[in-house]
Amino acid sequence: MDATAPKTQLGKNLFNDYGMVFVLLLLVVVLSALTLKEQSPEGEEAGRIVAERIIAEQGANVSVMVVAESTPVDEAFVRGAVAALETAGATIAGSVNGKPTDARVAIEKALAEGKTIDAVAATGDTVEWTIYDRFDGIGSDKCVSPVPYTWPTFAKLDNLLSVANQTAIYAIIAIGMTMVIITAGIDLSVGSLVALASVTAAIAIRDFGGGENASMAMMLAGCTAGIIVCGLAGLFNGAMITRFGIPPFIATLAMMMMAKGLSLRLAVGESISEVPDSFKWIGGGTTLGLPNPVILMIVLYAVAHFVMSSTIFGRYVYAVGGNAEAARLSGVAVKPVTLTVYTLCGALAGLGGIVQSSKLGTGDPKLGLMYELDVIAAVVVGGTSLMGGEGRIFGTLIGAFIIAVIKNGMNLMDVGSYDQQIVLGAVVLVAVLVDTIKRKGGRG
Amino acid sequence: MTFSRSCFCVCSLLVLFTAGCAESKNGSPETGNDAKAATASKGTIGFSALTLTNPFFKTIAESLTEEAAKHGYEVVVVSGDQDVKKQSDQIDDFIIKGVKAIVLNPCDSRSIGQAIKKANDAGIPVFTNDIKYDGDEGVVECHIATDNLQGGRLAGEAMVKLLGASGGKVLIVDYPDVESCQLRTKGFHEIVDAHNAKDGAAQIEVVATLNGKGARDAGYAVTKDAIVGNGDLSAVFAINDPSALGARTALEEAGKQDQVTIIGFDGAPAGKKAILEGKILCDPIQFPDQMGAKTAQMIVNYFNGEEPPKEILIPSALYYKADAEQDPELQEKSAE
Repeated sequence: MDATAPKTQLGKNLFNDYGMVFVLLLLVVVLSALTLKEQSPEGEEAGRIVAERIIAEQGANVSVMVVAESTPVDEAFVRGAVAALETAGATIAGSVNGKPTDARVAIEKALAEGKTIDAVAATGDTVEWTIYDRFDGIGSDKCVSPVPYTWPTFAKLDNLLSVANQTAIYAIIAIGMTMVIITAGIDLSVGSLVALASVTAAIAIRDFGGGENASMAMMLAGCTAGIIVCGLAGLFNGAMITRFGIPPFIATLAMMMMAKGLSLRLAVGESISEVPDSFKWIGGGTTLGLPNPVILMIVLYAVAHFVMSSTIFGRYVYAVGGNAEAARLSGVAVKPVTLTVYTLCGALAGLGGIVQSSKLGTGDPKLGLMYELDVIAAVVVGGTSLMGGEGRIFGTLIGAFIIAVIKNGMNLMDVGSYDQQIVLGAVVLVAVLVDTIKRKGGRG
Repeated sequence: MTFSRSCFCVCSLLVLFTAGCAESKNGSPETGNDAKAATASKGTIGFSALTLTNPFFKTIAESLTEEAAKHGYEVVVVSGDQDVKKQSDQIDDFIIKGVKAIVLNPCDSRSIGQAIKKANDAGIPVFTNDIKYDGDEGVVECHIATDNLQGGRLAGEAMVKLLGASGGKVLIVDYPDVESCQLRTKGFHEIVDAHNAKDGAAQIEVVATLNGKGARDAGYAVTKDAIVGNGDLSAVFAINDPSALGARTALEEAGKQDQVTIIGFDGAPAGKKAILEGKILCDPIQFPDQMGAKTAQMIVNYFNGEEPPKEILIPSALYYKADAEQDPELQEKSAE
């Protein structure tokens, strides 16, 4: 028994550190396997291949209509197809980048001009349009489209980026929540603070910054105002908890209601869309191919990880949650630390609100509904103990991603929304169960 | 010991999840096969409803699915749960899944714009029903809704029929936050004002217009206040069934249910039942089934190369007790 003890200990540490990462990786593999589906090739190369297939089947003396949608990849498709057809010496009866109506008009025009259409070069999407059967002598059997290949929808780059983008806002708020929960507290007000930040920033920009023509500086000032207001709300939470000993659950529950009411009042219950385009860039734009919220999330997590693991403040946060009395006796300034943690949590919720409202392009008092629960779920699944004193910042990131990946996977597999809630509830329950059993084992 | 236990728990989590997936895997292909059996599948339509807890939107979803299946399209229905972030995430997922068309009841008339634009950029046409998108960032191909103004006029006509000879005092329980409900009140006023303007007509006097928030509890509260101030009230026009039923409860409590007649709006199952029982006089009813079917037809036409009209309004119709007695929907329920 003695001989195996260190080995077990090593295994346990390994599991504690990386267990959730394994779960996440496993989920990725499982979901990839479950979402295998035929995908259609896109872009210039696909257009060229389709053109060559038409020529191989019907010879170079052929009249072809190229039909694609108006997206950039489809414009490339048309370019590729037209170039290849022209090189081979085929006739181009017409080419369309647009809606089904546009294609119908183009075909009618070509036929009216006395052109024949021997084949239609279509993309994976446009081949499924029903317009071709309207015309005698064309029909969908004349359509040639790229040969599909099999690839998991889940593992498409677009989808992975979209999962990261969708979860970024929860993950950003969850940083503050992790700190709060490590101090053995809770913050129920974050969802309402998302709405408050969104509305405050939009109103500041509309009323003082010049609305849709607001300059970059005014826009940023408006966003900062939103974050500061939420930071102050967090400070207020912290003050109620430390000065008057109100339990965190109650203090933040009160703030949740007040902030919700305040944001509805400020916005008179409506969404505010008088914001400049630069505002929409924060949450909706991309940098180096990555969505901005994802970059922001990565940076914030790196900073938060450093703060929590390598600074005195971080140690104090753990100490307060482990045993507040012992921390006080050993010289930790318990109240200021708690106050700072709640302020940070409020400010991060505000930042989340700015990102979310920028993504939607409006200030909306209805945002943030039940976000507190999603955020707490991410923290808990990430292995932070609600009893305080334990938890890792990166654990929370993994937790947020586990939930996001499961949600996305269920959406891709058309699981109904009722069933989704059951599964997500069970996931949270199992995560807490693991936590509880771990602590019991630790004590025994 | 602890390690193996933790391991066990994680495994159970995975089993649980895969079980969930397996279940869904079994579920979705079957419906897919059904659709394929009818005609070759032409692709999937994604529908994000405002909420699925309201039977009105469930009916839209069902009729949309049914009509689309006739033309070889599958419909995936998700619930936006009145949360615009959730709905815009659902639109993202629809785009990744490569749906052919997206149908929405926008959870917020303006905030949904960016998401609609994203779908436009991906070349996916967007259709809305019941709730209109009110912005200029995104393009909606076609909006299908009830003609609420005409419905409001019908309610006004029913009121004139009721009180035109005798005149009387009327309470309006409205919901000015929502455009569709504003139109209902507007249509009602048009008819009643026209009646009052006639020479020697017995006046129908609107004594109060109070916000019932379209909900049972708020409708109850404002009606209760209104009958304290106006003991001689003759009728109530409520802009939807829940607020009409709330008004009814308030009247029953005050013992005035025989003195005050209620006209509602919607024709939801609960409202129709109340009409059958004589608790509400009549409703201009909406046709969510037509709304869903019409949406499906517009999508089919769109892919057939036809430009759909920007807006289609489905006329409402008055529904009295006699209609309720003939209604197969209600008879099934009472048979159960």
